[in-house]
Parts: sequence; C-alpha cells; structure tokens
Amino acid sequence: MATADLSPLERKYARLGIVLIGPTVLVFCAVIVYPLISAIYLSLFSIYTPTLEGEWVGLSNYAELLAKGEFWSSLWTNIIWTVGTLTLQILFGVGMALILHQNMIFRSLARSLILFPYFVSTVVAVLVWRWLFNDLYGILNHFVMWTGASDMPVDWLGSMPNALLSVILVGAWKYFPFVVIATLARLQTIPDSLYEAAKIDGAGPIARFFDVTLPQLRDVLVVIIMLRAIWDFKEFDLIYLLTGGGPVTSTQTIPLLVYKEAFALNQMGMASAYAVVMMALMLVFMILYIRRTQENEL
Amino acid sequence: MTDVILDQVEKRFGSFTAVHCLDLHIKSGEFVALLGPSGCGKTTTLRMLAGLEFPTSGDIRIGERTVNDVPPGKRDIAMVFQSYALYPHMTVEQNIAYPLKKRGVPLAERGAMVSKVAELLQLDELKDRKPKQLSGGQQQRVALGRALVRDPKVFLLDEPLSNLDAKLRAYMRAELIELHARLGRTMVYVTHDQLEAMTMADRIAIMNEGRLQQLGTPDEVYNCPANRFVAGFIGQPSMNIADGTLDETARFRAGSFEIGLDPERFDTRPGPVALGLRPEAISIGAGPIAARVRVVEPTGHENIIILETDGLGALTARTAVQVRPTVGETVQCGIDADALHLFDGADGRRRNRDDSMVTQTPVGERAKVKESQ
Repeated sequence: MATADLSPLERKYARLGIVLIGPTVLVFCAVIVYPLISAIYLSLFSIYTPTLEGEWVGLSNYAELLAKGEFWSSLWTNIIWTVGTLTLQILFGVGMALILHQNMIFRSLARSLILFPYFVSTVVAVLVWRWLFNDLYGILNHFVMWTGASDMPVDWLGSMPNALLSVILVGAWKYFPFVVIATLARLQTIPDSLYEAAKIDGAGPIARFFDVTLPQLRDVLVVIIMLRAIWDFKEFDLIYLLTGGGPVTSTQTIPLLVYKEAFALNQMGMASAYAVVMMALMLVFMILYIRRTQENEL
Repeated sequence: MTDVILDQVEKRFGSFTAVHCLDLHIKSGEFVALLGPSGCGKTTTLRMLAGLEFPTSGDIRIGERTVNDVPPGKRDIAMVFQSYALYPHMTVEQNIAYPLKKRGVPLAERGAMVSKVAELLQLDELKDRKPKQLSGGQQQRVALGRALVRDPKVFLLDEPLSNLDAKLRAYMRAELIELHARLGRTMVYVTHDQLEAMTMADRIAIMNEGRLQQLGTPDEVYNCPANRFVAGFIGQPSMNIADGTLDETARFRAGSFEIGLDPERFDTRPGPVALGLRPEAISIGAGPIAARVRVVEPTGHENIIILETDGLGALTARTAVQVRPTVGETVQCGIDADALHLFDGADGRRRNRDDSMVTQTPVGERAKVKESQ
C-alpha cells in the first residue's frame, strides 16, 4: 500500500512501528551485519592476526583454500559429524518424546530431568565426559574391562575412529533434549480423536504410529532437522574441548580450522575466507528453512 | 438383527461415576438420540459403545455379540466425531478409503466403494483435496463418508453437527434423516441440542448426571415427561414449573394461586408437589390470573411473553403473533387445565395418571426397587 493511501492514524501507527523496531535493527546491524561484512572484506586480504595488518590479495585466499586438502578433509569430517550426531539426536529425541508422552508415574519429573544435558554448560559437560572416557580411571573403560569386551583400556579420544564416534555420541547426548522438547510439544497437540478414529477404522498400534503420529510430526521434524543441521554444522566448543580436532586433524571440522588459522597460524584473512565458505554452505540450509517456513505460512 | 443393548452398564473414573447402572435397548434400524446437558454421561455412553471406553460393570451387546472386550475396529461400528477427526495429511479419497485399507479390501474394490460413497455424498469433485481445503460442511460429509464406506451395522454420531452454522445444520439434519431412511441402519446420535433430537430421532434417551431419565418417542418425552428434569429440559421455551403443596381436598396452592386437581387424572396424595405448564397452555386476554408483562419477545411467527404473577412466580407464555401486550401492562391469563403436569415435590417424579405414555422410569429409582426386593 502506498503511503499516500494511508490515513493519518495509519501513518501514526507506521511511525510508531519504525520507532519500536529501530533499536532492534541497530543492534542487529552492529552484531550481525557489520561482522559479516567485515569477514567478507577481511577474506580478501592476507592479514597477520596480532597486528591486523596485511595486503590485498583478492580471491587468492579462496583459490588457496579450495586447493588445500585440509579444507576438504575438514569439510568431510564436518559432514560426518553433522549427519552422525543429528541422526542420533533425532532417533533418541523422538524415541524419548514418545516415551515421555505416555501416561507414566513421575512423568513431569522425567520431562524435567531429560533437559539436563541441554542446559548444562558445554565446558562442564565435556569435563565430565573426559573423565568418563579416561583410559586409566574412566568408568567406560572400567565396564569394558569388567565385561571382558577388551583386555586393554580403549583409547576413546586419542585414536580413530573412536575419537570421531565419541564426539558424535557426546554431541547427540548434549543436544537430543532439544528434539525431545520440540517433538513432545507437537505430540501433545495431536488430537486424541485422530487416534480414536484410527482405532475404529481398524488401525493397530503400529499403523497408528505410521498413519497418524509420524505424518503429524513431519513438519516439526523438518524444522528440527534444518535448525539442528545449521547449529551442529557450526559447532565449535564441544569438539574443541573434547579432542581439540585431534588426533592430528581427524576430528577437525571447519569451525576448528577457522580458529586454528586465525589464532594458531595468525592468518586472519585465510580464516575469514574459511568462515565465508562455511557461511555459504550453511546458506543452503537457511534457504531451505526459510522456504519451508514461508510455505507453512501460506 | 443388530439390536444394541446396554445391560446394567456403569462407568466410573476413580471415585466419579459418569454413568450409573444404565439399561438401554436400541432396536435394530432405530435412530436413537442420547440427549442431555454437558457432563450427563451421553458421550461416555457412546464411547463405551464404540469401544473407546470400557464399562466398569455391566454388558454391552451389539447384535448377538457381547462386545465388552472387543476392540473398536472389530465391533462393526463406525463413528462420526464432533471434530470430524479427518486425517489431515490424506486426501478426501484416502480418508474415505482408510478403513477399507486397514481391513485389507483389494485396491480395485476399494476405488469402486469410495466412488459410490463420494457420489452419494456429492464429494466427487473434492476427492483430491486435503481436509483443510474443505469447508466445515464438506469435512462433515467426508467424515460421514468414512463411516458409510464400510457399511457397518451401527453408526455412532457424537454431536456431528455442532460445529456447523445454523443454516448448514438444518440442511445436514435433513440429509441425515434421509440417509437413515435409505440405509435402515441402527444409529446412535449424541447431542445436547433438543431440536436435533426431537426432529431426527425415533426415540430419545434423556440423561442427567449419569442416569437415564426417560426413553421415549419425541411426542412422549414432550407430552409426558417422566420427571421434573425432563419436563424442564425438553421444550423451548422450557416448561413453567411452580412449587406448591397439595392439600387433603386435592387443591394445589402456591402463594395466592389455587387450583383443584382431578384425582382421576393425578395422584393427589397431599404434600409438596410442583405444577408444570407448557408456555402454549397459557392464554393471555381472559382468565383468573392477573399478571404483569415483563418482557415481550416477538419471533416473527409467534410471541414469547414473560409474565410475573403472585402465586406462580415468573411464567413464560407462547402466543399468536397478534397477541402482543405492552411491557408493564397487567393482563388476565387463563391456563389449560387439561395440559397440567404434576411432579412429586420430593423426587420430582411425574404424578399424572397417564403412565402408559411413560416408557422409562429413572433407572436409579428402579435399581433401588430391585435392591429393596
């Protein structure tokens, strides 16, 4: 609608709207838009981190990173980590949500406790897990030895593929409560009458899960998968604290590579180029997510 | 023969009894409405018939079979829900075909059966749409289609018209009456709307607080209500009921109002009683009762007049459209002595001597009689 068509009252409301949204837009620009543009800008320079000085190199940072094996291996690790941890999160999360949706004693308590991993600080969680994984006095190795599964303690974080599997497992443990909350919220809004109609139509428990529950969960699962894929793809602290990207670079994902370039190798320009490429990759998920949201709004 | 029989059925939820000792015999091919206010146990009764709730005690029989332990899908019933309960991700065609699919009907046969039902309910054009693309009335027809397609022995309908607007509701009422006549199947219809029950049902089971109050034809429940609750519940506007006492000479007194009752027609044992009078049994213009006009409600084809009297309190009268007193005016009213209803002051039971019309006494009362025997 053109401004000329607006009544004075509508114009007043429009002005009020601008005043109310203004501070948010300013903060958004300061913390999102400015760093984003800076990153793209910095990626065109070869910069020494301590001095933040350097020379214009154009797109050569990008050419260099695409030619580097380390980028591709990190991207591969990143994909394995994201797909692995996300699959486990969805399986554990949906399974747990279905259990917590049943009528059972202490349901409220169980629903609260299940959130614990999600709310505990990553540093604390990783410290606890490092103790559990410890090869000398970790409880996991204690069980492995006790059950006779192995004569020697397993090196959970220092050898491959154990390290990647351990990281994936801890990631799944840390983030599956998010899936539980979102799925449970959706499960509670599925009308009982759908299940009752299905019972009368002759559907057994398994048919009811596939014909009623799962189709009803589809929308929320798509959103969960897209959001968690974005968040898991850029996960840094959990992996860095647990393995530091090691052994060698076996669990090094792109965010860890960005950190290494920026603060270990002091190549801020190169680090920015990695970060920009990573953003471009995540943009695919974001576009899918936005499209999906818009479709639902229509 | 698919009679539906509830024999001494009781349903308790913890310490709360939702349905008390219910005896109900629905004949094969009959359309019975379960009518009552919210929380009266009518939906619980229907859900027990469907197998979605299980009776705490008593037996439910559908046809020759006792179905207490039979799961809903094997009872040969179909149910239409108040919310329609259509599967949102399926098209109209898939929704209607779903019960057939679950029973292993071959695909080709399924298609033909769905087409037949879709044609009957004028859904041919909508077969590829999803439920959210349909209007309330169309969704209602799809829900009916899903019930019809299996040709079940008994149809259970849980307030199926309550989400529709008034015009569509009237239309669907006529559709359902026609459908019942065509199919000749047993139908049990839950509603809180007496108009639906009166216009559609062969017989109405009126329930209150988990007890069956009366089972009778629409005429019976209107003209010979079994007790004070039924009298007040059936009829719009509802029956005028005045509390008073009967003396030794069979005279009813309420304040300054007095009338002699014929012992041939009424059980005139002295004591507290209530006198009931339908709004159409009150005439305005001439008569012994002086009344002040409080409200006049013209409806177009008649007038509803609310009057204030000394002995009988507030009275509602239904008059011809020409009779239209002004508010505040004092008018003389007459009552039709042949249309009086007398109810017991203690248990509310009907005390007119025309019990041949009353086919069901309250079950709670009957249970007490059984116990005392």
